Amino acid sequence: MKYSVVEIKTNLERQFAQSADLTVRELTLNSDACVKALVLTMEGLVDKEQLAQSVINPLLPCEFGSMAPSAVAECVFRSVIASSDVTELETIDELITYLTSGFAVLAIDGAEKMYAVGVQGYAFRGVSEPESEVVQRGSREGFSEPLRVNMSLIRRRVKSPELVFEQMTVGSDSRTQLMLCYLQSKVSRELLATLKERLNSCDLETVLASGYLSDYLEDRQTSRLFSGVGISERPDTVCGKLTEGRIAVIVDGTPAVIIVPRLFVEEFQGVDDYSNRTYYAAFVRVIKYISFFTAVFLPGLYVALAQFHPEYFPTWLLISTSESLAKTPFPVTAEVLGITLVYEIMKEAGLRIPKSLGHAVSIVGALVIGESAVTAGIISSSTLMVVATAAICSYVTSSLYPPIMMLRFILIAVGGLTGLWGITLATAVILISMCSKTSLGVPYMSSLAPFSFKRMRDVFIRASWKQLARHTIRVQRFPETEVTDAGKN
Amino acid sequence: MQARIKFSSKRFLLALMLCACSIILLQNDDLAADTSFTFQLLGILGGLSVCFVLFLPSLFIKIRTDGDVLQLAERCTPRAKLPLAAVYSCCFVYTALYFLLPYTEMFHTKYFPEASPCLITVVLLACCVYAACKGVNVISRFGVFLFAFALLTNILMFGGSVSEVDWGHCTFALRGDAGEFLQNTVYFVTPAFIIPIFACLSGCVSNFRLRQPVFALVFTGIKYAAVIFFICFALGDYSRRQGFQTFLLSRVAHFSTFAGIESFYLALSTMAVFMILSLLLCCITKSVGRSGELRPIILFTGIILALDVAATYLDPVREVLTNPLLFVVLTVIPAAVIPMIWYFIGRKSNAPKN
Repeated sequence: MKYSVVEIKTNLERQFAQSADLTVRELTLNSDACVKALVLTMEGLVDKEQLAQSVINPLLPCEFGSMAPSAVAECVFRSVIASSDVTELETIDELITYLTSGFAVLAIDGAEKMYAVGVQGYAFRGVSEPESEVVQRGSREGFSEPLRVNMSLIRRRVKSPELVFEQMTVGSDSRTQLMLCYLQSKVSRELLATLKERLNSCDLETVLASGYLSDYLEDRQTSRLFSGVGISERPDTVCGKLTEGRIAVIVDGTPAVIIVPRLFVEEFQGVDDYSNRTYYAAFVRVIKYISFFTAVFLPGLYVALAQFHPEYFPTWLLISTSESLAKTPFPVTAEVLGITLVYEIMKEAGLRIPKSLGHAVSIVGALVIGESAVTAGIISSSTLMVVATAAICSYVTSSLYPPIMMLRFILIAVGGLTGLWGITLATAVILISMCSKTSLGVPYMSSLAPFSFKRMRDVFIRASWKQLARHTIRVQRFPETEVTDAGKN
Repeated sequence: MQARIKFSSKRFLLALMLCACSIILLQNDDLAADTSFTFQLLGILGGLSVCFVLFLPSLFIKIRTDGDVLQLAERCTPRAKLPLAAVYSCCFVYTALYFLLPYTEMFHTKYFPEASPCLITVVLLACCVYAACKGVNVISRFGVFLFAFALLTNILMFGGSVSEVDWGHCTFALRGDAGEFLQNTVYFVTPAFIIPIFACLSGCVSNFRLRQPVFALVFTGIKYAAVIFFICFALGDYSRRQGFQTFLLSRVAHFSTFAGIESFYLALSTMAVFMILSLLLCCITKSVGRSGELRPIILFTGIILALDVAATYLDPVREVLTNPLLFVVLTVIPAAVIPMIWYFIGRKSNAPKN
């Protein structure tokens, strides 16, 4: 099909409704037939200097003589455009996708193809250390917003041709580009097919962040309390996961890269564990597990014991706790729930408040709500200490914060209503829910339940690298996994 | 999703072993009064030997067909499906109530007198319905965590009771007669309730080995022996006058000023009953041919609840539902008699025809 530049221009102006950022530059080429050409760009997405050097400057002085339009286009593609990143386009839809991604599109009147030239030059945040995943001994690089930059960060670490980036588009309006990233020899084809099927089933109009896709990637009929979809902003973490047969999904415009499948034990593994000494890494792991249990259970247990079984407190603690609780007007359950709620409100405010006001809010929180409330006898000091300890512990495994927060509220309520018995039953139900969860067919609690002694070398402890290197880990080989191994395909 | 997958037989037997071991937590001491500890050990040996014999038909079916008695019956005698489902459902409902009633009684009398026994049952059964819907695979995964917790509780309970043991009275003389031996043996046959569960659900597991049930029974025996030892020599005659001796043991156990081990006992017995009831509900839905479906689970949970309420308020119903002899009979039928019948029917139908 031959394109007319007038038709293309009219079509685009109609589709973009004469949007101010659509830039159309009309050129007349040096040929006997005065062939017309269009250079289409989106304002602010291209580097104008690069566009001039690689397209306009080489094109204008060129002599095409009596060449037919298709031959002119071929000549321009072969010998005029001074860029290594040129893609042939055949449809208007493709043109729009590339145009809105920052490419310059060159259309020649009467030619059968158009050319997208990679001259992107929009402003973006540079590669910097991710604030949510700070490490002591590791790379300081974190993902950024542009897709290509993120791809390069992974490619620089895995130089093997086995590493594949597969492009997809989601969002009917946003047409967000995403890349599936995996190692060919290690990934399970079945896992990959399932992931593609779920991404294709995404019927959202707009996808602005990777979190939008999480719901589509979760297995059906499994608990949504814990997430079976991992998120990381660190290229080294993603590369490590790829070697275990996992798949990364890089979404354009967000530094948070999705990693699937995700298991519970991974929430306690950090990049530093693999750089530190073995004994210290094991110690940190144990600390993380203790913190998780403290964050979830401490307030609930405190409420249950204080309300139903105070005899379980040691005498010295019983006296001080009873004295402290007796001075306050509220029942202990309401008190713990209230302080936890106030803490959550303060946390949300702290996240959004300008940094210059942060110190003032901290002082107000610590002095007014904390010390003054205790002095005034509104809340007891022991309750405040319990809630504060649980709050600090919940940040040790920050990726688990949402389930920790929800479980904490549930257990406080259950403990206040039914005591230790209720907490026991609630724990059983939570465990059943966690054990039934799968992440793309892989049991979420894998390594613990189904239990694997072999994998224990990287669960509660981190064995030495020599021991870890003895066995390769592939998610599809985990027991009771519903996907097949790469080698069996 | 995971219901289609066959899971490790080791984990299944671990779950059954936990059920068998934990049940002593809820048992009243119905042992013959004048028998010595050594004589009671013989009773354990006798009881668990009976359990092993009862295990054999379902083990043969598993080894020969890699399936369970229900799968075999469906294949060989499709017409017998309904009566078989009815028998198994009755037996499982009875077993569920046999453990639920002492649990609520123990909880109500010893721990939380203000709580209504019916309310306890409703909440517990609601949680069991959720677990039963998830299937036996998920329940067995839960068993891994319960095993860790049971280990901790037992260490605390026995470790904390060591200081209370009256070593001067530790004698190992044999004292008892044949009638008392029989009485003790019946008492120690209680863990046999795991056999019908195995008979019904063993088709879902892979990599079965004969040593797994043997190990489960041996471990159960050791746990029974330990509990009996501490009840005899740490609690002594005082325990004879009380019910729920294991509860007393956990209350007496302490490490210096650290006490309150009965809270661990309560948690362990609650989780154990939760797992037993969930497994029994799984068995019921499997026997009626609708594994993991919510409707039959709710129906049978309703029946269990109704009978529990009736037993709470009507003593004759309670007496029937907690009768040890009836329990043994209703365990032997689905554990040994039915599997044996279908084992021979299966052999006959597979025999080469001349």
